[in-house]
Amino acid sequence: MGEIRKGNNNNLPLEGTRVLEVSEGVAGPYCGRYLASMGAEVVKIERPPLGDWTREIGPFIEGIRDGDNSALYSYNNQGKKSVLLDWTSVNGMENLQSLVPEFDILIEDWDLNFRDDIGIERTELVDSNPGLIEISVTPFGLSGPYARWKSSPLVQLALGGYLYLTGERGKEPLMLPGRQPDYLTGLNATAAIHIALWERERSGTGQFLEMSMLETLATLHQFTMEMTTFEGVLRMRNGNQWQKESSFASYGITTLPCSDGYVCFGISTEDQWERLCAMIGREDLIDDPNYDTRIKRADNSEYLDGLLTEWIADRTRREIFVETSEIWGLPTAPILDMSEVVKDEQFLFRNIFQDQVLGPGKTFTFPKYPYIASEMEPRIGNPPALGEHTEDVLGAK
Amino acid sequence: MVKSLISSGSLSDIRVLDLTRVWAGPLATRVMGDFGADIIKISDPRVQLLSTNGLNHKLNRNKRNIGIRLDIAEGREIFLGLVEKSDVVVENFRPRVMRNLKIDYEALKSVKSDIIFVSMPGFGVDGPYSEYPAFGTTAEAVAGIPSLIGYGDGVPISTGIAYGDPISGLNAITLIMAGLRMRNQTGRGQFIDIALSASPLCNLGEYVAGYSSSEKITIPSGNRSTEYSPQGAFRCRGRDQWIGISVLNDNEWMNLKNLVADPELDSLETSNLEQRKKNEEIIEGLIAKWTSRLDVIETVSLLQENGVRAGSVSSGAQLLEDPHLNDRDFFFDHEEEEYGWKRYDGNSIPGNRIPKSEWSGTNDVGANSKEILIDLLGYTESFCESLASKEAVYFGE
Repeated sequence: MGEIRKGNNNNLPLEGTRVLEVSEGVAGPYCGRYLASMGAEVVKIERPPLGDWTREIGPFIEGIRDGDNSALYSYNNQGKKSVLLDWTSVNGMENLQSLVPEFDILIEDWDLNFRDDIGIERTELVDSNPGLIEISVTPFGLSGPYARWKSSPLVQLALGGYLYLTGERGKEPLMLPGRQPDYLTGLNATAAIHIALWERERSGTGQFLEMSMLETLATLHQFTMEMTTFEGVLRMRNGNQWQKESSFASYGITTLPCSDGYVCFGISTEDQWERLCAMIGREDLIDDPNYDTRIKRADNSEYLDGLLTEWIADRTRREIFVETSEIWGLPTAPILDMSEVVKDEQFLFRNIFQDQVLGPGKTFTFPKYPYIASEMEPRIGNPPALGEHTEDVLGAK
Repeated sequence: MVKSLISSGSLSDIRVLDLTRVWAGPLATRVMGDFGADIIKISDPRVQLLSTNGLNHKLNRNKRNIGIRLDIAEGREIFLGLVEKSDVVVENFRPRVMRNLKIDYEALKSVKSDIIFVSMPGFGVDGPYSEYPAFGTTAEAVAGIPSLIGYGDGVPISTGIAYGDPISGLNAITLIMAGLRMRNQTGRGQFIDIALSASPLCNLGEYVAGYSSSEKITIPSGNRSTEYSPQGAFRCRGRDQWIGISVLNDNEWMNLKNLVADPELDSLETSNLEQRKKNEEIIEGLIAKWTSRLDVIETVSLLQENGVRAGSVSSGAQLLEDPHLNDRDFFFDHEEEEYGWKRYDGNSIPGNRIPKSEWSGTNDVGANSKEILIDLLGYTESFCESLASKEAVYFGE
């Protein structure tokens, strides 16, 4: 394995590719970060005086509250250049447009309201720059009844069908942490750009790519809609229990307390169920007519949770994880909090974390990328100070 | 010089051998198939692919299917013959499964020197947990996601999404395309190892960075946020109907407060974020009192018209009927002989896809075996039959 683990970043796939990022928040910038890690030169345009609004959002590294110190900004803007230019004025937009021909890719987040205000047509820039790949990253896309709506991560999760599925049945539906719709859309945008680059290599043609955050979420459901269309059953949120009705029902996808926290079980196949019974010493359940189908087991999940809780109550998360995985071949996992995630031996073995020094006394740890590749080692640069590269980029003109 | 896009889709010159199962892998290859790549799904003839619940229909459109026994010598020969004709091989088993089948990067490289081989196991191909079974819900647990979801009582809640999978699928598309791009530049293939558990972790960059600098973990409290207040899902009229609302700033709050028009609310100090955080519980209660009598769809429109971020909490059934998604022609309506017309999610990645009218439905196990063996590998009809009699290949029902 040693040979394969060793990547290199001397020769990355996007070497020589120039990206202009005119996008704030997380979705567009996360995409820009990913492209930078693969060798692209990413020039981030920031509006004076404060720049990307995430610079003002905590948590702040070492609690030092200033615009070059936000954890959210720092993570999502590693390896970019920062140029100050106010594109929200008609004059500034003209200056920005004069930069576009020097770039292969433009990432922007201009919704319909902004486009109307500034007077910029949907495909105006790609029409005048035929090789340009422009990706528009907005909450709802540039057409349709919601196109002028305002959004937030919670609103996206609500409309995208994620919120309804998380939390206890009958209680308030719960959001996923942080800015998941933005991260997902950033990943989707990165994929879209790679596909468009492949197209451009073949046909020589750039494209205008209209990405919608809502559509991103709507394609990232496992069987939420299929339960309705194939079975006529509404998929519900169900706390830490999996769906009960429908052919997706099973025991036990469940999270239970043990001696030092919570453990998540992911038992979903017949043979896993049988091994679970053997593990807790209740092989009699395998042939018990009350438990011989997935639906019956799901319907009786409270009783089964009781049995399983008894088995795990005196064990630690670690003991359970090792025993269930190594001896019984069952998918389980300890629920870790962030203080434990950063010490997790598997993540450490795969060297996923890296420290970055922003300045004297200002160091933070971040997760790099979720992959290890034999020929690609992500290139990680520092996040830029506001306007750090204005002169380099604009002065050269 | 106006060139046109490739008529058969951006990825029509790419062939992918798809050994993936369940969700993450099939999602990635589905996207590539929609863009015209030749996806050859390899199924074990002993395992049923199609089921009545729609999951496989949803994920396996625009793919061909060949039924091969990889554990039989003749089946392996077929597989290696296909590798020689392919650009990418992707799998998402536990590492042991591929090892037992003697399928690894070296073996594939020896028949196709520039092959891109992608593994998507639970924890990565090496490390202390690498052989542990995993799926989306246990993967998100070790990344800390459930520790950041909850009602404030300390009980972690898993997402209803199996969240490791969709993120890993999106990463896979980008990494496959990056690998192919590098291959075209350097002539070399590579091995790419994407850990299901690391994918959600990389969507929590600001949490890792924030923890590393403060050593404080975040305790979730419903849908509350440090940035938006008030924020939450509020119950509306009808069964399990909720509206998601996020208030970002004082102006948005004034607009909402005027609509709620509750004297008790007007008597509270709420004009800035600090005051609203202090009175958060009372404010939430008064909003909930207001929304409980209202229709969710009408209220979302009313709030958005008044510049307040809001969206309905859509169930799977509501997602299918969403007026915005339908207006943008997002869905894919397809008729299967056995199941009739069904509605599936479309593709959220914009670009030069094959037109929806030309998309094909799911092929059952072995449906395309013969055409693949004859057209791609040049086998004769009688040789195909002899392989089938040895159970190395399966030609379907």
